[in-house]
Amino acid sequence: ENWTMTTTWPSSLELIEIDRHFVKLANDMIPDDQLTIEFFDGGELVPAGEVFGAVESGTIQAGGDWPGYWAGRDSAFSPLATTSSLFNAIDYVNWIKEWGGAELYNEVYGKFGMVYLPYGVTNNESGFRTVDKPIRTTEDLQGLQLRLSGYEQGKLLEKLGGSQVSMAGGEIYQALERGVIDGAEFSTPNVDYSGGFQQVTKYWSTPGWHQSASVFGVMIKQENWDALSPETQEMLKVAADANLLWSLSFTEKRATEAYQKFKDDGIEITRLDDATLQNIQEQANATIEEVACENPLAAKVYASMISYLQDYAQWRDASAPFNLGRTPAGPDLAAIEGCAG
Amino acid sequence: MSGETIGLIMAGMLVVGLFMGHPLAFVLGGTAVLGAFIAGKPMVLGIVINRIFGDVLDNYVLIAIPLFVLMARFLSDSGVTDRMFEALRHLMARVTGGLGLAVVFISILLAATTGIIGASITVMGMMALRPMLQYGYDKRLATGLIAASGCLGILIPPSIMLILMSSYAPGLSVGQLFAGAMVPGICLGLMYAIYIAAIAWLKPEWAPPVREEEQISRSAMWRMLIVEAVPPLVLILGILGSLLAGIATATEASAIGAVLALLIVILRGRFEFSTFYSALLETGRTSAMILFIVVGATAFTGVFNITGGLRATQDLMRGLADDPFTLTLLMLAVVFVLGMFLDWTGIVLLSFPIFLPLVNEMGVDPLWFVVLMAVVLQTSFLSPPFGYALFYMRAIAPPDVATGDIIRGVLPFIVLIILMCILIIAVPGLVTWLPATLYN
Amino acid sequence: MPIIRVIDTVNEIVGRIVSVVAIIFAGIIIYDVFMRSALGQPTRWAFDVTKQLYGFYFILLGGYALRHQAHVRVDLLTARMTLPVRRWTEAAGYLIFFFPFAWIFTRESWKFAMTSWNQGEVTYGAVSIPVYPLKMAMFVAAVLLLIQGISEFLKLILDRAPHIEPEITHVR
Ligand code: NA
Ligand code: NA
Repeated sequence: ENWTMTTTWPSSLELIEIDRHFVKLANDMIPDDQLTIEFFDGGELVPAGEVFGAVESGTIQAGGDWPGYWAGRDSAFSPLATTSSLFNAIDYVNWIKEWGGAELYNEVYGKFGMVYLPYGVTNNESGFRTVDKPIRTTEDLQGLQLRLSGYEQGKLLEKLGGSQVSMAGGEIYQALERGVIDGAEFSTPNVDYSGGFQQVTKYWSTPGWHQSASVFGVMIKQENWDALSPETQEMLKVAADANLLWSLSFTEKRATEAYQKFKDDGIEITRLDDATLQNIQEQANATIEEVACENPLAAKVYASMISYLQDYAQWRDASAPFNLGRTPAGPDLAAIEGCAG
Repeated sequence: MSGETIGLIMAGMLVVGLFMGHPLAFVLGGTAVLGAFIAGKPMVLGIVINRIFGDVLDNYVLIAIPLFVLMARFLSDSGVTDRMFEALRHLMARVTGGLGLAVVFISILLAATTGIIGASITVMGMMALRPMLQYGYDKRLATGLIAASGCLGILIPPSIMLILMSSYAPGLSVGQLFAGAMVPGICLGLMYAIYIAAIAWLKPEWAPPVREEEQISRSAMWRMLIVEAVPPLVLILGILGSLLAGIATATEASAIGAVLALLIVILRGRFEFSTFYSALLETGRTSAMILFIVVGATAFTGVFNITGGLRATQDLMRGLADDPFTLTLLMLAVVFVLGMFLDWTGIVLLSFPIFLPLVNEMGVDPLWFVVLMAVVLQTSFLSPPFGYALFYMRAIAPPDVATGDIIRGVLPFIVLIILMCILIIAVPGLVTWLPATLYN
Repeated sequence: MPIIRVIDTVNEIVGRIVSVVAIIFAGIIIYDVFMRSALGQPTRWAFDVTKQLYGFYFILLGGYALRHQAHVRVDLLTARMTLPVRRWTEAAGYLIFFFPFAWIFTRESWKFAMTSWNQGEVTYGAVSIPVYPLKMAMFVAAVLLLIQGISEFLKLILDRAPHIEPEITHVR
């Protein structure tokens, strides 16, 4: 089999390394007479927003993505991509591999005739970068006009007193430079640094509560997946798992380096105080309950995620301080299960 | 079928289609469709629609194109630009070569209002050519100067060429490109002015001053200047200012520009519903013309990429040039030669997807490279056989001006443009200084 | 031939209505800038609505621009041909290039629009507005372009193309 694959990331964004690494692993591992993947950088074949459509219609066989881009087709894609103040990267890995997450990816993508292999995970996004004043408390957010992507994320920001401004990625830099907006979030520190945000903002407010961790992967047209031998399918899954692990340490290392570069450039890095984070958690839980209940499939995904958190919580707490991150007090599971399809 | 073969076939079809006189937009689109069939991959044609939607319809940056066209239309259709030229013509007409200098000066100003080559050359040709010939300017000098100056509009911001380039160059904002092209654009205008001044000094009979009896009084001249030239000037500076120094993004600046231009027209008492409506219709046709070339080109590029033509071309270029300097020269040469046949829209849309990855790979500053391309693309209007500015001048000029005169007239300006490119290569700061000052 | 007149009229009407949309999206942008900078309140829907209006605007004007021969072309060679040769050369251009493109544009945009319609696709930013009307407009635009091409082709075949006159130098 010969596959044509592309991704949502242009060669100028470092996120494309996750896709390239997967393709290399798969091509090296799988004999050429079984499967060869020809990979094109984002934009070479279709624009980012059209990768889904190109795979769905069978024009190309595979597409690397971040599931959140497709939330306009079904809002259940949103929790498959990221959460507001809920999962960290290891939570995603745990959930995907052992708590039923993988099946839910395939259920949601399956609605559109595709198979999905999650193969990338990054931990916390940077958070907001602001021009004039730091954000340390909920109070500081009042009245701020912030560039933020995502429907759920916008709702949450409004609950906290800020206003969401929608803006194309390429326009953020200039809008910050010109004071058109007060601040913006974009991506992880390394990606932000390559976008030049250190040149146009003075303050950086951590953590990235709007996007606590992110998942990336490849969507494959069902009939192309079915045409592979079971051995080849297995090798693709192994390549995806290997890539998942690699992507986490790769991006965390790059984020660490970029964090230092932001500091060296004199950016004032502040942390939200505990009371504010507590408030954000409560508002995030309320927002999740709202948006989950707008769509039974989204509710089903969220219910599975929150069940995982509750199921894992006791042992996770018992193993503190050696546990994998904090144990969030998430939204009301029973309420969301009530709306699940 | 190999990438080389299909790439060659598609390039050949493009040339044939152009020579058949078929619209560029559909030559590109048709070549895409036939190319996919010839390559034996008709199933890839789905990406044509994905690309048209994602690259052209769902593209916030391109909204500025119709709006800047509209701004230029409002100003020129209501006679505001004509009157502005008249005022400047009277100001500069007293000296040898003065009329020529007025043409350069007004072109730089018009350049700021228009991004469309047709508008500036037609307006300049209509307003300036007859008086220049009447006052005894050399035919070659007059036509060459008007054609070359008119082209400055696509280089000096706001420029729809730069807007389109930004949309094809990830990581370069419209603002950065505007700032980068500002100094080279003005320098090129100055070079034209110096050339005219030199000619006027060496051969005064080629560029005589306006006769005494045709000059208007100083007070009348100043009144005219203040009433006619100041409001559009304020508008132009306001747009660039709001964009470069403060308030709005490029798309927002274009909307503000269109509405302010309309306000100027209304305040000057020149508003007529019929002119207003015909400006809207004309803008619709012009915008559709430009954006459908983008539609055709995105279809072409998609098929060219997926069938392997893109990689084959890039490998070919890598083979020919393995250091940044040679590579840049090679690309400049390619664009110059393409400019003899295509106009900037086609060239940008076809070459950028091939060039920019190579430029990034070789570590060349993309901002510098894109502005250099923008400068050399000035020749795409002037170089025979297919320079559009030549056709425009031909259509406007009286019959006793031969086509050969026009071609000979633009040659010195092509040399000046190439000189400007050499300057930019020698002194990259010409491009990078202003963006670095504004944005860091 | 009545079909030529019907097609030309359809695209003329579409063009005359759609051309006005530019003023509407200019107005929305200005409203948004004003609300944001003067009153500190961004308009949540402005970004998506402006982008969609611009899309409707230019894509639906393709046929109208063709009807007015506004699409840029290189006629250095054809302008030197005898009129019959020129007519047939231009007609061949429609057969080789225009119709294959316009047909694929129509066929694929129909599939594209139907997929979006069946999924009830919406934008997923600050607001959710439907995407399928714009995708359907793309199909309508493809049809308008295709029929205008038929009209222009017939004009060439029947020797009624107004742009082919010995006196006129065709420039953009
Ligand atoms: Na300009
Ligand atoms: Na850009």
